[in-house]
Amino acid sequence: MKSTDSMMLETAHSPILCEISRHASRNSDKIALVSGTERVTYRQLSSRILAAAAYLRSVGVKSGDRIVLSAQKELNFIYFYLAAHYTGIVNVVVDPTSQRDRLDYILGVVNPALVMGNRLSVDGYRCLSFDEIDLNEGAEADIQPATVHRTDVADIMFTTGTTGTPKGVCLTHANIAGSAGNTNAFIGTQEGDIEALALPLSHSFGLGRLRCVLMTGAALVLVGNFANLKSFFSVLEAEHVTGFGMVPAVWQYIKRLSGRRIAKFADQLRYVEIGSASLPVEDKRLLMELFPKTRLCMHYGLTEASRAMFTEFHADAGNLTTVGRPSSPQVEVCVLDDYGKPVPDGVDGELCVRGNMVCRSYFLPQDNENAFWGDWFRTGDWGHRDTDGYFYLTGRKKELINVGGEKVSPVAIEKAILSLGIEDCACVAVPDPSGVLGEVPKAYLKRGRCTMSIDDIKARLTTLLPTHEIPVQWEWVDSIPRTASGKIQRLKLKQ
Amino acid sequence: MESQVKEIIARVLNVDVGRITDDLSSGEIPEWDSVGNLAIISTIEQELDIEFPLEVLFDLTSVRSIVDEVNRLYDA
Repeated sequence: MKSTDSMMLETAHSPILCEISRHASRNSDKIALVSGTERVTYRQLSSRILAAAAYLRSVGVKSGDRIVLSAQKELNFIYFYLAAHYTGIVNVVVDPTSQRDRLDYILGVVNPALVMGNRLSVDGYRCLSFDEIDLNEGAEADIQPATVHRTDVADIMFTTGTTGTPKGVCLTHANIAGSAGNTNAFIGTQEGDIEALALPLSHSFGLGRLRCVLMTGAALVLVGNFANLKSFFSVLEAEHVTGFGMVPAVWQYIKRLSGRRIAKFADQLRYVEIGSASLPVEDKRLLMELFPKTRLCMHYGLTEASRAMFTEFHADAGNLTTVGRPSSPQVEVCVLDDYGKPVPDGVDGELCVRGNMVCRSYFLPQDNENAFWGDWFRTGDWGHRDTDGYFYLTGRKKELINVGGEKVSPVAIEKAILSLGIEDCACVAVPDPSGVLGEVPKAYLKRGRCTMSIDDIKARLTTLLPTHEIPVQWEWVDSIPRTASGKIQRLKLKQ
Repeated sequence: MESQVKEIIARVLNVDVGRITDDLSSGEIPEWDSVGNLAIISTIEQELDIEFPLEVLFDLTSVRSIVDEVNRLYDA
């Protein structure tokens, strides 16, 4: 057994690991993670990260290699995710429920040295299962950090591209620490906080919460997801949870399934972080009424520019339509016209962001075309700033459909529909009739010689698309409006 | 009725029906998230022509509880 000191995560390139190391040496018995009945202290977390790092080295993965991690909500995922940072290995975090073609595309692009995840078997790649690895036994913890820099890539996160092809966002060690620092400072997370994490770890929001909590030295309780609210509420009660994160669709779900029951936790919840899609003003008011003392922090951000802006409902009670102001002095937001020139306050343009958390680039060079104006990242969101420095969204330049926080490419749905033999089709976002998911896809179809009914098409799409990508509304049309160059005019369909 | 309910849950979640055991709870597998749970509720309501009362939705947390509630609504 090594001494406590030598087991610390001494590394200059990862501010997150440095903070975990500091908590482990200062407050070693403090709980960092809770998963089911297992409780992991900061000291144990620190040594298991090192054991996982040793494991990665022992199976031949080297600094600079990429590994694909399926983001299972379990402790070994967290150890290996952070171990990769320590050893300079680049994480490519994927959703455990990813469709096969998305996963195949990502694997083909990043060519990983290793794929890790339970029940994952991928031909042509070396695969290891988290649940077959026991880091408590026999792992050698005497391992030195890699010689990498804060500006080297730590994680590659794949988002939905407008063309239907996923785009790999390259985030450096400085980016992910910058986002966590900005977020913690705004929310006011403290060492004594206990957070329930029911968000998926495969998305920027959930993975960001993990980093925020561990950087602060607080405790994170892993919860499968929000589906079982009864069990989520028991966790809030049993673990004395003081904060959690949710997307607006989850709030609609909580309202629909449990009414106002959640208000009984109002006194213990210090903060709730909300993000990934818009939330109606009446819901903001309801949250303020149910949680009069809780910091209700809503972020605006993208995987490429995580938590760029924040608003806190109580503090901004007189202005609930804003998406907020830059989250910290390290973040700047501006509004630019089609030529990259600033527009005056009050005038709509494209929101552009720069700062410590803005991604360095996309993984594939072709994805970087038109992604930046200099060092300003172009969000693709349309909006303006008022004279007090608050920003407002008025539309989206990119045509992604935001289904309960999941960004869906209309092109991917159209491809799937066309593969069934439909002559032409186009998909757009429409408001969810049930009021839960925010937006859902609507498909316009040109029949041509196809004899299938909508029900036939829907049934066949279940094998091609995840449930949330299957259009909810359908309409037969005589033609799909296109530009002279053949591009679908989705805005015309929306009108 | 039980097999019909299990078949719907498996289809909505896009998982093998063999994984839909009586004691499987919502949230226990990644596919059964909040969006999946809403889709299960609405698909069962639509295909079996029933309507779950609002006050029971909070308690529909497992395959068994859903099957029991569907049976109760049919018997009523």
